[in-house]
Amino acid sequence: MRALVIDDSRAMRRIVSSILIGLGYEIRDAGHGREGLDVLDEGWIPDLVCVDWNMPVMDGLQFVSAVRSNPAWRSVTIMMVTSESEHTQIVRALAAGAHEYVIKPFTADAIRDKLALLGLLPQEVAL
Amino acid sequence: MKILIADDSRVMRQIVIRTLRQAGYDDHDIVEAEDGADALAKVGSEQPDLILSDWNMPNMSGIECLQALRASGSAVPFGFVTSEGSAEMREKAADAGALFLIAKPFTADTFTEHLDGVIA
Amino acid sequence: MTTTDTGQRRRSSDHRPLIPSLIDEATVLSIAEEAWLALVGEDEVLVPLSVELPVDIMSSWVDVVGPWTGSVVLTTGRCTAEALSRALLRESAPEVLEIEDVEDAFGEIANVVGGNVKAALTGPSSLSLPQVGNAPVVRNPADVCRVDVVWRGEPVSISVQGALPPLPVLRPTPQNPLRENEVPL
Repeated sequence: MRALVIDDSRAMRRIVSSILIGLGYEIRDAGHGREGLDVLDEGWIPDLVCVDWNMPVMDGLQFVSAVRSNPAWRSVTIMMVTSESEHTQIVRALAAGAHEYVIKPFTADAIRDKLALLGLLPQEVAL
Repeated sequence: MKILIADDSRVMRQIVIRTLRQAGYDDHDIVEAEDGADALAKVGSEQPDLILSDWNMPNMSGIECLQALRASGSAVPFGFVTSEGSAEMREKAADAGALFLIAKPFTADTFTEHLDGVIA
Repeated sequence: MTTTDTGQRRRSSDHRPLIPSLIDEATVLSIAEEAWLALVGEDEVLVPLSVELPVDIMSSWVDVVGPWTGSVVLTTGRCTAEALSRALLRESAPEVLEIEDVEDAFGEIANVVGGNVKAALTGPSSLSLPQVGNAPVVRNPADVCRVDVVWRGEPVSISVQGALPPLPVLRPTPQNPLRENEVPL
């Protein structure tokens, strides 16, 4: 399974990516929404996108709207990654077409549980 | 007594003012503020004896305003008038230094109950 | 294959509560009635009756974010929203209501109803500022608690609606085997 991690913070990209790699995902990342769309434009269609909200150039809301307006990308599940202070944006993000959200600070288990509900857990890695 | 009423809804400020009157507190000066930042500024310029504040407001919330006041050393009596009256909100309010939390919708009696010890 | 599966897979900790399991119509109606009595007038009556909304409608809502995430939406005809605002303003209502007055008053009713709905849910959650305009679309019909009432002869709808889309229907696959406590299809 493929996941695209979009965040303007390299540290956050690394944290989210490592959780998803641990769950069995193949990862690509991007620093903002425009770069994220470039990855999809290449034809690398992820099963999951974890996207930050506040980013330069193209923010999370614009990215979500762009993805959801393209029928070729209908299979992409979008999980918004947000901080406590962006609470009020969550319903707006969901209305724009995001499927789920997770609030920082989050645990690997929190992400895992949400992905399990969504049927997006790759084959479990034996411990 | 000078009472500062902070709420981003003009309608709600009117309702609070008329409920104060209905509850018998009609001989006081009223100052209005439309958000937490405005309220904070008016505490300085108007020196109210009591603040009745909404919780959720743009620019600065009621709880942020209260926290700023207490942090600056102000002990001005402060109470919330808010649509959220859960136990958890009351605890947060008390922890921040509020004297009471009146939940909307309220009646004149609710005001009397909470304000009798506070307003002479 | 026939199935009554709603597509929701529940783990023992039930991560995705749907609103009908958290609050019922009677509670929402009672919250609305209290709001109306205090804000609009002591003699006001809300009749629980479903009447078609007019074409020119307006909504006000607040968002709730927490263990359950969604919106508390009031919808009514534009004229009724104006009448509500006028009633809230009472003596201080101007001859001609400005749109700001209507948005303010109608938004404040949503704030009061929404705040009380939020308080009835298992917290902690946060409440947004009210918004006014076209109602947010219902994302998951299974995650709605709606009460229709009639106020002074006009329809008003109160909808507590979840913001998350329905979960996909899961079928067991080698990549995604059902867990021990799963109900097999």
